[in-house]
Parts: sequence; structure tokens; C-alpha cells
Amino acid sequence: MGIQEQYRTDAANLLDSGAVKLVIGYGEGSTPERRRPIFIRSAEEVGRLVLDANCIANLSAYLVPEGLLSDGKSVAVFLKPDGIRSVNILAAEAQLNPEQVVILGFNIDAGLANPLPGRKANEFAPLLASLKSAGLSTDLQREADRLEQMTAVERFEYWKEQFSKCIKCYACRQVCPMCYCRRCIVDVNQPQWVNTSSHTLGNFEWNIIRAYHLAGRCVACGGCDRACPVNIPLRLLNHRMSKEALDTFDHFAGESADQKPVLATFRQDDPETFIL
Amino acid sequence: MTETFEPKIVAFVCTYCTYAGADLAGTSRMKYASNVRMVRLPCTGRISPMFILKALQKGADGVLVSGCHPGDCHFAQGNYHARRRWTVFRSLLAFTGIPEERIKFSWISAAEGAKFAELINSITDEIRALGPFEQYQELQKVIETQSTY
Amino acid sequence: MAKIGVFVCHCGENIASMVDTGKLVTAISGHPGVAFSSEYKYFCSDPGQETVKRAIRENNLTGVVVAACSPRMHEQTFRKACAEAGLNPYMLELANIREQCSWVHTDRIEATDKAIEITRALVEKVKRNNDLQPISVPVTRRAMVIGGGVAGIQAAIDIATAGREVVLVEREPSIGGHMSQISETFPTLDCSQCILTPRMVEAVQHPNIRVMTYAEVEEVDGFIGNFTVKVRSKARYVKMETCTGCGDCIQKCPVKKIPSEFECELGNRTAIYTPFAQAVPNVPVIDRSRCTYFKNGKCAICKKTCQIDSIDFEQEDKTEYIEVGAIVVATGFQVQNTSMYGEYGYGRYKDVITGLHFERLASASGPTAGKIKRPSDGKEPETVVFIQCAGSRDASKGVKYCSKICCMYTAKHAMLYAHKVHHGKSQIFYMDIRAAGKGYDEFTRRAIEEDEAGYIRGRVSKLYEENGKLIVRGVDTLLGKPVEVEADMVVLATAMVPQPDAKEFAQRIGIGYDEYGFFNEAHLKLRPVETSTAGIYLAGACQSPKDIPDSVSQASAAAAKVLGLFSKEQLEREPVVATVSDSTCAGCWGCVIACPYNAIDRKEITDRNGNLIKRVASVNPGLCQGCGTCVSFCRSNSIDLAGFTESQIFAEVMGL
Repeated sequence: MGIQEQYRTDAANLLDSGAVKLVIGYGEGSTPERRRPIFIRSAEEVGRLVLDANCIANLSAYLVPEGLLSDGKSVAVFLKPDGIRSVNILAAEAQLNPEQVVILGFNIDAGLANPLPGRKANEFAPLLASLKSAGLSTDLQREADRLEQMTAVERFEYWKEQFSKCIKCYACRQVCPMCYCRRCIVDVNQPQWVNTSSHTLGNFEWNIIRAYHLAGRCVACGGCDRACPVNIPLRLLNHRMSKEALDTFDHFAGESADQKPVLATFRQDDPETFIL
Repeated sequence: MTETFEPKIVAFVCTYCTYAGADLAGTSRMKYASNVRMVRLPCTGRISPMFILKALQKGADGVLVSGCHPGDCHFAQGNYHARRRWTVFRSLLAFTGIPEERIKFSWISAAEGAKFAELINSITDEIRALGPFEQYQELQKVIETQSTY
Repeated sequence: MAKIGVFVCHCGENIASMVDTGKLVTAISGHPGVAFSSEYKYFCSDPGQETVKRAIRENNLTGVVVAACSPRMHEQTFRKACAEAGLNPYMLELANIREQCSWVHTDRIEATDKAIEITRALVEKVKRNNDLQPISVPVTRRAMVIGGGVAGIQAAIDIATAGREVVLVEREPSIGGHMSQISETFPTLDCSQCILTPRMVEAVQHPNIRVMTYAEVEEVDGFIGNFTVKVRSKARYVKMETCTGCGDCIQKCPVKKIPSEFECELGNRTAIYTPFAQAVPNVPVIDRSRCTYFKNGKCAICKKTCQIDSIDFEQEDKTEYIEVGAIVVATGFQVQNTSMYGEYGYGRYKDVITGLHFERLASASGPTAGKIKRPSDGKEPETVVFIQCAGSRDASKGVKYCSKICCMYTAKHAMLYAHKVHHGKSQIFYMDIRAAGKGYDEFTRRAIEEDEAGYIRGRVSKLYEENGKLIVRGVDTLLGKPVEVEADMVVLATAMVPQPDAKEFAQRIGIGYDEYGFFNEAHLKLRPVETSTAGIYLAGACQSPKDIPDSVSQASAAAAKVLGLFSKEQLEREPVVATVSDSTCAGCWGCVIACPYNAIDRKEITDRNGNLIKRVASVNPGLCQGCGTCVSFCRSNSIDLAGFTESQIFAEVMGL
């Protein structure tokens, strides 16, 4: 039995037994290589679930809408390792109770979706530990290195050009599981910290502050990057923040549900070579 | 241009250490460059990264963020929290092309009036040599022209 | 509409000589919102302040900027003037054009430009200032002291003598702590019991002190001035009210071979016992785990013996909630278990003992009645080796810090040994002799010069038994030679370490602790007896290793802090505190974790039927110290700090 069939059966059993009230998974999209989130509430519907190498979106974002989990019932969700990390962060930030999240875990390897054993986020701890020791994406690092080798002036010009394209549609924010704030800082108008019209300065501020808010929280699912209609390489900014958190504070976002936020904690011997 | 460029520097400081250190430089009649404008806050823990961006928007060519030495924070831990934020935010700014030389961080205690005066002089010299932060200021000019219509 | 008054002070010539004050007034008078501006030679003088007050009244000013000296100098002066003129004192800002402008610059044009900018930024800020009222918190003027050792006793007596109620909670059956175990005290060699017992009695008889022994603090709720402490009094199975302390039950108890904790297991106790003869209160407890009656329902000899029927096997633990305004934590220390030094043979050789064991051997009320007898065979040791820093200053095996008291007590031990065993020989292995303190160095010199303590500078590498002797092998680093001493007894100067449950206890009552478990003071230098939780203070060795004089001084200091707090019925606090916006808080609790003062709680928001709608952060203004760390953490900008609000800072920066 392939993974798709197996997980359809698992989903049906979870729903039939009443173990979960809802399964969040992937369904057919508008084109053959696209998948979109679907929400299955009865075992009869599990046939709509699709699981293959095109299922790349981090569905954990659909766990956070207010009220979904407040009845104490459980929800099953298809997650790759990045999504499992997101669940851990959301748990660490008290946005959900990980006991209510049944994970149908999988990873994509060589064009195939493979099942990951485990049901609750904490059962994936060894997997996440191995991801931490494997380190961050080398592809992104290569691209980041390319930027770091530029002069500051060139780098500024690069980002200026990128950010000048931003239309402040906030798709990056909407797709991100970490952007669960009831009110985003960009929507604060007393005072208006971030210029909201989509001129480059405001775009600069918005994208910088968003990356800062994701420091130590981004799991590199790439959702923002894919959602961006004007193709700003947002993942690079987030990657740079993840690298800082990992290299300087040994913080790998979402490693466990009891991880403390990297910017709400400190060590007395945190490095400070840059402070005069 | 014959006139030398005088940079604008905005400093965000805690009231217990660096602000007091600056006062000490004053009471000791030390002399330093007049380019710095101080924003007094209770603690470095109160200094949000947005402050730095706003200072740049207002035409600052350099920003200084300064507070109590580790272990000396009036609020015990505020500067430790601040240090983490600076570490992260500073690398982010550098990555987006805002030169590290323009964003400075320091620990200056209430007893370090001399250090304050020396630091302001050296930062002013350094930023004067860099020249105005035109790249960022261009962005602000664009808004000002846009907002006229 | 803002009506701001700007008052430019000349400070004699201090400002006016470098800043063109006329130009400053002209420049600022045209600034939007400035309704009044003037300059004067000394605004801090009486006529100067009158000018400010009159201007406030006559122009109905809504805010004031005084461009003068540092706010650290005259903020209070002008706040008072504003209040007297009917303006909220927090509607004032000081533009520092003296310390940070006229005194430090040499170019009049530059200085004037800077002064204009500084003043303008603060006009922008003050437009966004809000009326603030000092926060007043009611104070319950009763203190709790946790821990009944010498520090706790001292703090309790000091507070009680000043007329305030104190609840002294001790978890052992008697107060007295480690000091009651000590034989003589350095540097005077007076008997510890003799000086401590009167203090113990004074505490228990003091009309303002309620002593709760055999009781544990389980929970601390609330904040400065308003704590509720949950205390569990453990069942003694002896009625405190009636027991006369005659001791008949102890005499008759058939279970006699229980190693006594008080005697460091060098002596025995019974199942119904008082830890030591001078125990206060002198009421025994039954050790339930060892008592025959509790094991199999038989015996009850104590009950039959007691002539006033004070034995009560039915007693249960009692929990009560006590309201106090301040807490002094004086929970003391433990002696480190030295078994990690395999090479010293502690636990393997009976005659390798700790310093505290030696105290009991030397104590007149101890198991040997003050005779130095070694534990293995009761013989008088001819040679005793003392090993200093057995655990202290050893990052690899023990603890990194210096235990502070060991140099002194080892010198004292050598002296006591010399006084009791005249032909005895003592050898002390040491790293350094740290004898800083009144009369301390003289004391160690006396040990060396009069009592012939032999000091060998170096570490012991190995210790083993051979032919009934303990062979101590070490090195004399001053001679650069290995040394070997045959000893009859070895005393390890073990490190002082925190109580085993110190970290867990600190979490329970909400105070900080270091990597070892010593409790953290609010500021090592300037607030050494306060914790970062307002209203909780520290005394004694629970904070760091301390000797008796230091513990007692700190206890009195903590008592002074408590009494300062209790000097008023209401506690007035600067209103610079954070507040959370319920509507936008996402409840991520980052602020709760970041707050250095544990001042942020989780609050439940319910509808009118009591159904939970959401949980949000909530700042306790009694605990908040106003650092603003939470404000800049909050991603959704849902927290703000009065006096330094986001709007104020934004306006100030944009005004530059």
C-alpha cells in the first residue's frame, strides 16, 4: 500500500473512531502539479486526500485560527518536518496544545513522499535533533554567501530593487504559521511605526521587521517565498536570521515544544564582540 | 563641496548608565563633537529595533545604542535581553546593506564620562569619513516627493 | 490641542555662554503646539519656579519643557512646580542643554542648533505625555522569615523589635540552624550554643514573633505588600500546646539507634526526639518512618509515659494561608557531599570526616562530650590532617567558588584540637589562606604561631589506609617536594553549597538563582539584600557562602529593608509601569518569560457567563519596575510603558 492510501486509511480511522474531528490535508489543485489544503470532516471524504511530492505547503498555519482547538478536540494534519517544527513553536508560544494535534508525518525524498513514524510532535524529537545537527540549507547559505560577499552598497541596492517590487499584499504574512498575531505591527497606526504605503522605504521597514520577528522562529518552509507575487527572496532574510540564532545562540527553531523564545531569554555569557 | 560634512547621529541610551555617563562628561567639562542627539529611555531593554529604523528615516547617518555593562543593569537583566536583540537585528541590517559602521552598540557606565566623550568623537569621525547615508535618505526623499500630490 | 510651555534656563552663564538662548526661544516659539516660551537666569530658583507656575496657570498649559540641566538634576523640582500649578507632574520633560550641550561643546552655533533640536524633540514627546498618578499599593505590615537559622532569627528579632509582626518558619523541629551544630566560633572562640541559645529563646518568646517549626513554605502568591504564603505544618504527633518538654517520652522510647542528623550521624537519637538538648521549642517530634507504633500499631510507650497526654498519633499536617507584606528568605546552606573525591576516601574510611563532623566532636554537648575521638575506634587522634578547599575552587570536581569560611574554620579546628589534645599534631593542606575580616588574619596567625598548626601549601593527591593509619600524600609547593603524612584522622574542609532543593524552592516563591542554586540578589553591589522580586529579601548563606558575622549583618540589613517598606500603610510607586492591551495580545507569553521581575501574569478573559474567551498577558503594577523589556519584545506592539510610550518615543525621534 502506498503512502497516500495508507494515510487515507489512517485519516478515515481517526475520523471514524472520533479521535480527531478534522483532518487537514492536501487535495488536487488547479494544475496537476499544484496541491491545495483541504479540510476533511468525515471518513467518506478521505478519497479526496492526495499525498505526493507536490505536497510542499506547511499546513500548520491552518491550526491557529482562533476557536479551532478551543473545544479540546483533536485535529489531524499532514506535516513535513518543517511543519512539525512549526507545531512545536506554536506550542512553545502557547498558541496550541500539541496533545490536540495528530501528525500524519511525511517527508519528500527523491521525488517521493515517505511516511514518518510518530503521531504527536514530541515523538519526532530524534528526527528534529538530527535535522539540527545536519544544519541549515546549504543552497540558501550559498545564496546568502553570494550576498555577503557584496559591498554594503551593492547589497543595499540589491534589496532596494527587491523591496521596490513589494506591493504590501501581506501574502507572506498570511501564509506564515508564525504570523498569528491578532494585530500585526504593520497595522499599528498609533504610532505608525511602519510606513504602510508601498514605497520602497516602507517596504524596507516592513520586510526587515517581519524577518526580525521571525528570528529563531522560522522553520524555512518557504511558504512566504512561494506566496510572494513579485518573487522577493524572503527566504534569504529568514535564513540569515535562522543562521544567527543557531550559530550564536544554539537555537534551532521548533526543536521541541518547551523551547524558550530566543529573544525572550539570554545567557550571561552570550557573545558580544560587536559591543564597544 | 568645500564645507565638511557633519553627520547626524542619534543615540538611544538607558537613563541609569549611559545617560548618566554623558552627564558626567558634562559635569567634568569634557569636550566632544556636537553631532549626537540623545533619546533617553529607562533601560536598553526598552529599545526596540523600530527606533533605529525611524532614526535612519529621519536622516541619521549613524545610530548609537548604549547601556549598562553586563551585570550592572539597574533592571538586572534588561541589557542581557537587549544584547540578544542587537545581535540579531544588527546582522539583519548588515545583510540588507545597512553598513555595520553606521550602527554602533556600546556599554557605557555612569562612571565612564571619558569613554562616552571619546566614543562620540570616534564615531563622529568614522561616520564623517563614510559620508552621508544617502542610499537610505534617497528612499525618504521619494516619499516626500510622492506625498506632495 | 496641546499648549506647551517652553522655559529656557541660562543657568547663570553655564548655558547662556555657549547656547544662544534667545535664538532657542525664537526657534521654539514658532514650533507647532508651543503656546508659551520664555528664558530666565535660573528657573530652578524660587522666582524661576514661580514664573513657570504662573505661566502654567495663565496660559492653561497642557505640558511643560524646561530646557536646562539634566533630568537627573532637577526633574523632581519642576515636577513639583507643575503639580503646585495644577498640572499633572508627568506632563513635564527636561531638555538637557547643559550637561549634554553647553558644557561639552565649544562652538556656539553648533551648540545652539543642538539645543534647538533637543528641545524640539522633547516638545514633540511632551505633547504625547499622559497624566499619570503614582501607584499606591496597600501594605500588609507583617513579615515572614523563611528559615530559622541565625540569619532568620536575627531578621525576625530586628523586625519584631521595631514593632511589626513576624512569622518565622523553620522546616526542622527546632530553630537554630547550622550555628547550633557548631562548637566554638571564630575569631573569638566563644561557644556557639552559648551565644545562639539566648537569641533562639528571645525569638520564640517575642510577643511579635510567631515561630512555626517543622513547617514548610509551599507556595507564595501575590506581590510586594500583599503576599499570601501557603505554609504546611507537619504533624509532630506531640501537642505543642500542652507538652512541657520533660523528655520522659524520649527516655523511654525503645527505638534508640537512629543516626542523629544533628550529630552528623556521629551519635544516635530515638524515634521521638528533639534534635538537640537546647532545642527551641523544646517539644519533641515523632519520626513517623522509624516509630514502631506507626510501623505496626504496637508500642505507644511514649503515649503511656506522657503524664499530660500530649502524644497524639492522630495528628495530621495542617495547611494555612498567611498574609504578609514582605518575605525574608534565610534558608541557609548544606555541606557538600565530598564523595566525588575518590582519592580522599570520604565515606570509605570512617576517620575521614567533614568540618561539620569535627564541630560535633569538639562540641561540649556533642556525642563525645567535647573530647576529640576518632569515629572508627574512639581513640584520641595523635595527628590530624586538614584538607582545605575540599570541593571549593575546583571547577572540575567540586564548585568553582570559594566557600569563604573554610580557611577560618580550619584554623579554628586546628586550635581547638591543640587545646584539647596537647601533644597532638595538626597538618593543614591549603591553596591560599583567605582570612579577610575583623580579627581574622590575627586568628590564623595565632593558630600557626601559638597553637603550632602546620600549614602545607599544596593539594592532596591521594589518601589511603595502611596499618591502621591514614596515609596522606600530597605536595608541598613551597618546597617543591612531595610530602606524606601519617594521620589518625582527616578533616575535609568541604564546600558550602545551596540546599538541595534550593532551585525548586526559588521557582516556587518566584526569585532568581545562580548556576549553583544560590539565590540572586537584585544587584550585586547596590541591592545586595533585595531580590529582583519586590518585597522578597535575602539573608545569610542562601545567597552565597557566609560566616556568622556576615549572615547576621545581612539579616539586619534585610530587616531594615522590610521596616522601610512597612513604614507606610501604602506603598507609593512611580507610575512608570507597563500595561497590556487585552484586545491585541496574542498570548504568546514571551513577555512573561522575558520579564526580569516576574511581574507579568496570564489573565483569563471571560464572557459574562464565565466562559473563557482568551488568555492574555497582564502586568502587575505592584511588581513592574518599568524597564520596558517586555514592550520591545512584543511583536504585536501590545504592551506599552507609561512615561516612555511608543507614541512618545516615536514623536521624539521624528522630532529630531
